[in-house]
Amino acid sequence: MHRKKLAASVAALAVATLTFAGCSGNSTSPETSKPSEGGSSSSEPIKVVVFGGVSAEGILANNAATSITAAKASVASVNAAGGIDGRQVEIEVIDDTGDPTVAVTKLKELLASGDKPVAVMNSGPSTVADAMIPILTQNKILSFNIGPTATSADPAQSPYNFDLSPSANDYIKAFVPTMEDKGYEDVAILHGSSAYGELFGKGTSEIFGESGFTVVGNEGYDVAALDMTAQLEALKSKNPDVLVLDAYGAPLGYVLQGIEKLGWDIPIMGNTSVSATTLIATEPPTGVLGTDQVKNLTMQVFTSTKFDKNDAAVNDGVKHMVEAGDIKTSLILAYNLDAMWLVKAAAEKEGSLDAEALVKGITDAQVQKDAGTILIKNYGFTPEKHSPSLGTDEFLFISPGPLVNGQFQ
Amino acid sequence: MTIIFSGLALGAIYALVAIGYNIVFLSQKTFNFAQATLMMFGAFLAYLGIAVWGLPWWLVGIGAAIIVGLIAALEERVAVRPVKDMHNLLVTTLGASFVIEGVAQLIWGGEPHAVPFFLGNKPLEIAGGAVLPVEIAIVVVVVLLVVALTQFSKRSMVGIALLGMSEDREAAVLRGVNVRRFAFLAFVATGMIAGFLGVIVGPKTYAVATLGASLALKGFVVLAIGGFGSMWGVLVGGAIVGLAEAIAGRYWGADYAAITVFAILVIILMIKPTGLFTRRKERTV
Repeated sequence: MHRKKLAASVAALAVATLTFAGCSGNSTSPETSKPSEGGSSSSEPIKVVVFGGVSAEGILANNAATSITAAKASVASVNAAGGIDGRQVEIEVIDDTGDPTVAVTKLKELLASGDKPVAVMNSGPSTVADAMIPILTQNKILSFNIGPTATSADPAQSPYNFDLSPSANDYIKAFVPTMEDKGYEDVAILHGSSAYGELFGKGTSEIFGESGFTVVGNEGYDVAALDMTAQLEALKSKNPDVLVLDAYGAPLGYVLQGIEKLGWDIPIMGNTSVSATTLIATEPPTGVLGTDQVKNLTMQVFTSTKFDKNDAAVNDGVKHMVEAGDIKTSLILAYNLDAMWLVKAAAEKEGSLDAEALVKGITDAQVQKDAGTILIKNYGFTPEKHSPSLGTDEFLFISPGPLVNGQFQ
Repeated sequence: MTIIFSGLALGAIYALVAIGYNIVFLSQKTFNFAQATLMMFGAFLAYLGIAVWGLPWWLVGIGAAIIVGLIAALEERVAVRPVKDMHNLLVTTLGASFVIEGVAQLIWGGEPHAVPFFLGNKPLEIAGGAVLPVEIAIVVVVVLLVVALTQFSKRSMVGIALLGMSEDREAAVLRGVNVRRFAFLAFVATGMIAGFLGVIVGPKTYAVATLGASLALKGFVVLAIGGFGSMWGVLVGGAIVGLAEAIAGRYWGADYAAITVFAILVIILMIKPTGLFTRRKERTV
């Protein structure tokens, strides 16, 4: 009997606690809380938040570190340029460990605190974006995302979100002019079994076919496999002019090892997964830079990922990144570098930090051109599509070289 | 021939993992699911010693054997010995595997690192096919290891005691065998072998934290095909898995490589449930 009473008391206490917690949450609910913008004449700092897997495992942590550094640099460079409408920007970093559950919990904690940010930069994989964007949408918060999902670029479903990462098709279309310049006709494709790898394999077949190339072979490989000789020999037997390659991490090493073993002297065009693998940017004995394995390799990068001493804007952005933190990967993952420039241009055009006004500003083609973005010069956002539509001039195909501060030298 | 060589080399790597499984199985009637991760750690130590510090490969091999042997000893004390129910060892050794992988990621990150091979990396032409020196070395080492361990188990007192333990643990105790100590030593020995092998596995696979996950399951398939407890079975199982994977990948595509391997496993187990090289035991009921 005593036990029953005790259990009932505990249950009642729990209900009461939850009720109060709920009330407490309501008191700072999105409907009642104000963004940190204050009034338009306020001189208070503008708050932005970046989520990233600081303590995620392995390569995810490196990617997150670069993204977060880019976000900090974006804020620093905008502040150095006078802030947004004369107001300084403050950034808060939240470690979501690369886990959607953690990200959602921390986002809800942030919103419950009543300190609603003007913008959120999501630096995690698409699983995290998938979990966070609906909550950000519900709370009418502008967000930038580097891990696109099926709905993240659709304004009908995610009206306040912008994907900073281009679509797989944009990356693939950028191969075409270079392949035409080189006079390639017969193309072989090798891609991994990852979600992106499969997308790349399908997209390359379609786009290259439509562009007049003959796809003589399209082979996939298991990303957990230790040897790709079988797939390479199958492709070699088709005698292509060029091998278009998707490979990241150790599988890239196995592919290059296999090509050398087969004595296959073929031009290789790698995608951004290839250029994001540090193995090709590291000299022997710990990497393969400068060896016969990469003598025929060119790889896709953004123009900003290749060091150019004359590109003052990029060099200034990199300087801010170096001051802000670690650049543990190539600049390919530094999309956040552009986020605050887009916000600044949109806010100053629209005269407001309201999410709807910012969205209107960011989808204005002139605003995007004037924004002075660094990593990508012109995103091509439209009111109908919140993902970049990049011109082929945003990309380069370069030979591997040493990677210094995220840029190939 | 290139595909045959690739398949044999791949199978030999799986077989090296299976040898570790086998030694622990013979001594403890259980599996150390962290075996592949121990080999991954050996590959990282090879990278550190050879590529970063520039030490001679044999010295690095010995150092890695000692370090990984100590890690295996720690694993035995923490994740194996305190576990009373043998079935729970699946969980605890898997846990140990995650811990070792996590430590490797913390120290060396998630990117792959090249490990130079002491005989060079230039491909060789043999019988009309191309093969890397390290691939030949891996096949030779796995054969030598199987021969050596088979002879050791037949001719040395320790080996005979281990075989006795695997046949009947209680009888071995009654004959004065310190089963706990022998089991511990066998566990440490598998760690030492895994550590030393890092100097020849690393140049083929690169030192990468995900290596353990790539090797663990295929090593187990090799063991199941060859027969639990059989060293010769490991060799044959490795060759079957490696060749099936390479040939299916070449002619049918990567999607069929794994399917083919598991189809062969199922067919073999249906025909001979104990694996190819292990006899069924009869007992009176």
